[in-house]
Amino acid sequence: MKSQFDKKLRVLLVENSAVDCKVIDKMLQSSPYGRFESQFAGSLEQAFILLAKQNFDVVLLDLNVDDCTGLETLKRFHRKFPHMPVVVNTGSYQDDLGLKAITKGAQDYLIKGMYKSYVLVKSLYYAVERKKAEEELKGAYNKLQQTQTQLIQAEKMNVIGGLASGVAHEVKNPLATILYGVEYLNTALKSTDEKVVLTLESIKEAAKSANGIIKGLLDFASLTNLKKEPENINILIDQAVNLIRPQCERINVELKKDLQSDLPLIKIDCNRIKQVVVDLIVNALYAMSDGGCLVIRTYAKKFAEQDIGWVDKRSKSLIKGEDVVIVDFDDTGPGIKAEYLIKIFDPFFTTRRASGGIGLGLSIARTIMNSHGGVISLQNKQEGGAIARLIFKANKKGSL
Amino acid sequence: MKKRKVLVIDDERGFTKMVKLNLEAAGDYEVKIQNNPLDALQTAIEFIPDVILLDIIMPDLEGPDVVYQFKNNDLLKDVPVIFITANITKEEVDAQEGYIGGHAFLAKPGTIEELIACIEKQIKHLQ
Repeated sequence: MKSQFDKKLRVLLVENSAVDCKVIDKMLQSSPYGRFESQFAGSLEQAFILLAKQNFDVVLLDLNVDDCTGLETLKRFHRKFPHMPVVVNTGSYQDDLGLKAITKGAQDYLIKGMYKSYVLVKSLYYAVERKKAEEELKGAYNKLQQTQTQLIQAEKMNVIGGLASGVAHEVKNPLATILYGVEYLNTALKSTDEKVVLTLESIKEAAKSANGIIKGLLDFASLTNLKKEPENINILIDQAVNLIRPQCERINVELKKDLQSDLPLIKIDCNRIKQVVVDLIVNALYAMSDGGCLVIRTYAKKFAEQDIGWVDKRSKSLIKGEDVVIVDFDDTGPGIKAEYLIKIFDPFFTTRRASGGIGLGLSIARTIMNSHGGVISLQNKQEGGAIARLIFKANKKGSL
Repeated sequence: MKKRKVLVIDDERGFTKMVKLNLEAAGDYEVKIQNNPLDALQTAIEFIPDVILLDIIMPDLEGPDVVYQFKNNDLLKDVPVIFITANITKEEVDAQEGYIGGHAFLAKPGTIEELIACIEKQIKHLQ
C-alpha cells in the first residue's frame, strides 16, 4: 500500500479559515502515508500569485474563500489553471454539489469533517494520477483531431493536384501555339507600325502571364509530395542570399545576415523553403525600391506567450514551451497598409498587378509553411518597416 | 547548305503549324507535320528526318510508344528525338540541363530561339 504514496506532493491549500488550514496540514504531516509540503492561500488571487511563481502538484480548494464563493470559485480557478489537479474541500454540504464540481473539472470532492487522514491522502494522490490520465487522453484526442484535419487537407490537395496538372496541360498547349504564332508574325511582318508592334507585344505578355498562373497552380499542387529532411536553415539562407545579392546591389539595398550558429535542425523540403525565403526577400526588395536595409535573422527559442500574436488563432500547430527556429526578414521599407495586411495571403491578391504580379507568391508560401507545420506571418514595426517571420518546429533530435 | 529535315509529331494542330511556319521562316529547315501518332512511323520512314519533335500525351499512341517504334526501325533508330511537352516546366528541364532519362526535352510554351538551339544541338550530337 505504501509504495503508491512514495512521491512527495507539493500541496496548495486554498482555504479562508486559518483553523481549517492547521487541521488539514496536521492531518497531512502526521499521516503515516505519503509525504507532503504544503502552502496556504486565503483567496483565489493569492493562490494565482503562488501558482504563477512556484510549482505545485495538487490544489485542495475550499469553495468559499475571501474573494469568491460556491462553484464559481472552481470555475475561475479552472479557467486560469486548466492543467492543475484540484480536490474540492468544502464545508457546505449540498446533494448535487459534488457531482457538479466533478463536471466542472475537479478530480475529487471532500466534505470537511467527514474524512480521516487516509481518505485525504488517497484523494490527493489519486487526483494527481487522474488528472495525468485525463491530460494524456486529451492530448491523444487532440492529436487524433489534428491527424484527421491533416488527412482531409491531404485529400483536398490530392484533388487540387490532379485537377491542376490536367488543366495545366490543356492550357499550356494553346499558350504554346499563341506564343509561337506571335513570334512568327513578328518575323513575317517585320512591322514598324506601332499599333501592330504593340498588339503583338500585348498578346505575348498576356500569354506569358497566363503561363505564370498555371505555373503557380502547379507549384501549389506539387506540395503533395514534399521531401522533408533535417536541415540547417542558415545554409539555405546563404544560398538564397547569394542568388539575390546582385539584384540588391542594383537597387542600393543593403543585405545583412544575423544568423545564430549551432541552430537546431528543422525538417524541411529544401527547395520549397528556399522558394519561400527567396519570395520574402524579393517582396522586401520591392518595398525598398529607393534603397534601404534588409536584415535576415535566425534564432532558436522556446515558443512563448509573446509569440502567439504571430500565429493565426485557428492554428494549433505550435504549442507553448515547444522548441522553435525563427527566421525574420526585417526591412526598412514603408511597411504594409492595414487594409492590405488582412488579405496579403489571399490567392491572386497583389499590389504589383501593373508590373506583372500574379498574387500567388505569399499564398503559396503560406501553403508551404502550413505543410511543414510552421507559420508565416507579416507585421509592421512601430518605428516603420515590416517584419516577415517564419516559425519552424525544431527537429526533436537536433540540439538546442 | 542542305536544309535540315524536321518531323513534328503532335496532336495539337495549331501548335504544329506554328512550329512549321517559324522554322521554315528561319530558313534552314524543311518541316513535315504528323498530327496522328498512329501514322507517325509511316511518315517518318517516307521522310527520313534529321530530327524528330515529339509530343508525349497524345490520344491512341503516346510519345514514348512512338519512340519505341522508331528505335526498332533500322532507318530511324539513330534519328535524335526531342520531347516537346506541356507536362513539365522550363525550370524542371533547365534543372536537368535539358535531358530527362537520357532524352532531350523542351517545355511548352517556350521560344523559337530555344527550339532552334535544341534542334541544332541534337543534330551536332549525331555528326
